[in-house]
Amino acid sequence: MGMFILRRAFSSVVVLFLCSVAVFAGVRALPGDPALVMAGENATPQLIAAIRHQFGLDQPLPVQYADYVSQAFHGNFGISTTDQIPVATILAQRIPVTLELAFLAIVIGVLIGVPAGVVSAVRRGKFADWVSNGFGLIGLSVPHFWLGLLAILVFAVRLHWLPASGFVGLAEDPVENLRRMIMPALVLGTGLSAVLMRQTRSALLGQLSEDYVRTARAKGLSQRAQIRHALRNSLTTVTTVLGLQLGALISGAVVTEQIFVIPGFGKLTVDAVLQRNYPVIEGVVIVTVFGYVVVNLLVDLAYAWLNPRLRVAGASR
Amino acid sequence: MRSRVRVSLAVFAAAAAGLAACSTPGATPTTSSSSGATGGTINVALASDPGTIDPSLANTFDSRIVFQAFCQKLYDANNALQPVPQLASALPKTSADGLTVTIPLRTGVKFNDGTPFNADAVKTSLERDLTLSGSARAKEIAAVKSVAAPNPTTVVITLSRPFSPLVAQLTDRAGLIMSPAALKKEGDKFGDNPVCVGPFKYSSRVSGTSLSFVKSSDYYDASKVKVDGVTYKIISDPTTRAENLQSGDVQAAEQLDPTDIPRLKSDSSLKITPVSAPSYEGITINVSNAHGDTSPAGPVNTALSKSPQLRQAFELALDRKTLNKVVWNNAQSVDCLPLPLQMVYRPDSANCTPYDPAQAKQLVAASGVKMPVPVTMMIPADSGDDRMAQVIQSMENKVGFNMTIKPVDFTSALAAGKAGSFDTFLIGWSGRLDPDGDLSDIVTTDGSNDYSGLQNPQLDKDIQQAAAASGVPARKAAYTTTLQLLGQLRPIIYLYHDTWFLGTSAKLTGVDYRADGIPRFTAASLNG
Amino acid sequence: MSVVAAPMPVASVRRGVRLRRRFLRRPMAIVGLVLVVLFLALAIIGPFLTPDPLAQELTQTFASPSAHHLLGTDDLGRDELARLASGARVSLVAGVLSTALAMVVGVPIGLASGYFKGWLDPVVMRLNDTVLAFPFLIFAVGFAAIFGASLRNVVIALSIGLLPTIVRVSRGEALVLRELDFVGGAVADGARPAGIMFRYLLPNSFNALIVQATVGIPTGIIGEAVLSFLGLGVQPPGASWGLMLTSAQQFLSQAPQLAIYPGALIALATLGFNLLGDGLRDVLDPRERR
Repeated sequence: MGMFILRRAFSSVVVLFLCSVAVFAGVRALPGDPALVMAGENATPQLIAAIRHQFGLDQPLPVQYADYVSQAFHGNFGISTTDQIPVATILAQRIPVTLELAFLAIVIGVLIGVPAGVVSAVRRGKFADWVSNGFGLIGLSVPHFWLGLLAILVFAVRLHWLPASGFVGLAEDPVENLRRMIMPALVLGTGLSAVLMRQTRSALLGQLSEDYVRTARAKGLSQRAQIRHALRNSLTTVTTVLGLQLGALISGAVVTEQIFVIPGFGKLTVDAVLQRNYPVIEGVVIVTVFGYVVVNLLVDLAYAWLNPRLRVAGASR
Repeated sequence: MRSRVRVSLAVFAAAAAGLAACSTPGATPTTSSSSGATGGTINVALASDPGTIDPSLANTFDSRIVFQAFCQKLYDANNALQPVPQLASALPKTSADGLTVTIPLRTGVKFNDGTPFNADAVKTSLERDLTLSGSARAKEIAAVKSVAAPNPTTVVITLSRPFSPLVAQLTDRAGLIMSPAALKKEGDKFGDNPVCVGPFKYSSRVSGTSLSFVKSSDYYDASKVKVDGVTYKIISDPTTRAENLQSGDVQAAEQLDPTDIPRLKSDSSLKITPVSAPSYEGITINVSNAHGDTSPAGPVNTALSKSPQLRQAFELALDRKTLNKVVWNNAQSVDCLPLPLQMVYRPDSANCTPYDPAQAKQLVAASGVKMPVPVTMMIPADSGDDRMAQVIQSMENKVGFNMTIKPVDFTSALAAGKAGSFDTFLIGWSGRLDPDGDLSDIVTTDGSNDYSGLQNPQLDKDIQQAAAASGVPARKAAYTTTLQLLGQLRPIIYLYHDTWFLGTSAKLTGVDYRADGIPRFTAASLNG
Repeated sequence: MSVVAAPMPVASVRRGVRLRRRFLRRPMAIVGLVLVVLFLALAIIGPFLTPDPLAQELTQTFASPSAHHLLGTDDLGRDELARLASGARVSLVAGVLSTALAMVVGVPIGLASGYFKGWLDPVVMRLNDTVLAFPFLIFAVGFAAIFGASLRNVVIALSIGLLPTIVRVSRGEALVLRELDFVGGAVADGARPAGIMFRYLLPNSFNALIVQATVGIPTGIIGEAVLSFLGLGVQPPGASWGLMLTSAQQFLSQAPQLAIYPGALIALATLGFNLLGDGLRDVLDPRERR
């Protein structure tokens, strides 16, 4: 187990390093000069040079990278070039918004997806299975951004039930916050619930056909008890899938935040790229990859812990 | 989001000197509601991020809206776009040689940290503007040689050369006065916690999202301030700004989209106030910008750059009226000159190139260039200009051009404009209050915004003389000839002047939305 | 998860008949097939039957359906049906090309990684994880910013996004197949690794790869739509379903149909491929049956 943890942790660090180099180089390959943006209309060559110097843009790339990494270890991701606010501060403001969105989406996804998957597996081939499957397929096929537009069209433009967009902080006004987050969270959660429904269904079907369940059935265990046993074992798969969906969830948040104009992490990313805001882009990607790697590591470890058979196989999975 | 080069707007030119004599002290005109309603915070939807709010560094249009809340200037602009005293007590007096400018100051004024506002503070601010590394103000007041404070209520500015636009600059961001105590404390980080004289004081900021200001008890006219604070929310999508206004999340929203206006006007809980902005939208044609806008001209290998006839055909094919109707719901003021319609120096007749596709076709066919003639139009991506570009494209393609639209993000587009790596560029200009600001540097040789790369000595001379002329009739005559020549050279095909719409909730009264497109909330109040 | 031995390279005629019968017994798979065929028809034949998708009639904006414009016109007076058909072609190109590109690059990498193992396998898998670790959209936004927004770049970005799955699946196939007798026999007969991969591993991975294609194509279709929606894909005046949704968003209350048509087509096309894929998976690749 120790070796396994070590191996996974090491490969996580490698992934993180590769990503940080890739993004650092990639960001600097972007056309357009951030100094020119900062200088604005009054840009004189002297002013541009002064700004380049101030932000260290005149240093050789490896120096810039080393400097960046050493600063990042101290929680300093530089200063946003558009509004001169520390990137760490911006991230601290934006990440909770997206986390809230993702959390609500996961809650919605789990609340809809897991029961639907269970019903579908238990009543395999019956009407309920059909309905759940249909829902799952539609959930996978309908793009979220269109679902978002439809939701705005129906609930905001036509029915005037919910505001079309805008954001109110959770601390500021929790009720209003929830009113605004419900549409985006539903939109983001629907896709997730479809994936979870399908995964729960197939995992549960797999478990139900395993020997131990058959034995239990032969011994006269009630169907309810059989399902309970099988479900407990299926949930490890579902947890893993949830972990793996994190990347998709972040991608989904980028689009959802754009449609509903939520000042979260995804909107920050798109805006930063469009504004050539190097320090923000780097901060965003490093934090994303870090979060993703950590979550996956935790999922792997949880998985290995729950399912000792996989400790060895896990490495070559 | 209408993207344009938005920079300091209120640059008055030589004529401002004439105003120096007639000093009309007094507070800014406001239509205050004295219904007695007080309290509440006004939420305002801004069209774009104001960027840094350090007065020496700020360089966006929206920063000027935010400054109105917490940072007053020596002078402010009135609805006739003329300077009126704000922190100064009268218009400046300029010596006969034009080298010494004396500005009297208001008394009994305190900064929002409680420290006194006086001539030393003005000196400190102006000197910081001149010397701070990266200052965006240095170029605006480069003619200032020194600033002296002979007594607490008098500032004497010594110039290195006669510089009439100084008042105009002090009516814009160079006129913002910072608290010396706060400057000492914050230094380069002044923009993180700025302190000025103003009805509101800085409270907090969420990057890319909002800026909050609360009522200041130190403000000299505090009794006129009815509300507890103003919060500016950055909402870049115009339709979203409108939605937030309708839902009551914000009580004011600037620069609403013309296509949303009919719908919003039918909503009785809203009030829509239009302002004909001094800005213009146009198509810049790269005529000879081969090596960058401040470098010598060179040949550009495009059909339009080589042939004045093709440029003429390009303009003949444009149906500005239909463009305005389809894309903007007839909201904009169609025009073919850079000068705003209300400007007194405008020629009596604009003499526009008419919409004549038949003649355009003939000219293209006669040009000898293989048809269809390729044209590429760069547009700032994500600006909402893509619909306009598509309509232009369809008009041009009907007369024998083959136009390609190339959306480029705003940053890269500006860089490409400066570098000359474009054929045509759909880009606007925020406009200036003096005609010189709409021409100098934009169509003059080696100008820092001369994207077209036009270098015409005759035009340069005309523009210089028109700026030096004094008196309305003389300047008007000078600009009539200047603009005629410009129209023939066609470095820029002007399309229209923007109309900006400020939407306010019916509950919000006393907002002062002036001709400069900046809403002021000093005397506003929220009812109910 | 019982592992069914992969079949020998030669597929018998009888097996084909059996597979077809098995496929036809699944009504949802047939629905999927029909949707896919309709989508292909719209994309391939549609543009020949409809007017110019770029032609503007500026006096006829937001027109209702008529004999002249079967689905009406958009905000610039362009024929909506023509734009939908032209958008279908863009979707098809994006879906198929990005999947094909990912396969061309990913399959050899995956097969080699699974077949040779050794030092290659962990390196490939680590790189694979790195690509996977980047949230795709953040990567794609950056990619478009560096290389410019165009259909070609969308296809490249999408194929990079699809790559890890393809590598993983083909590697998994190779890991199983290399242990089988006929591969061992070929090695004993002195066959070269490249020969083994192309003669034995590739054909036997075919079923799994076909199933992957039915996953990749709809992913590509949605990916193109999302990127164009964000302004990073097809550029105006070109017609792409995602781009049509962007401009429709502005007129949501005025002309909601402009937002409904393209979105519904994306959903139906994706649904078609998903149903077809599920059917094919059940028939061709019982190991991965869900």
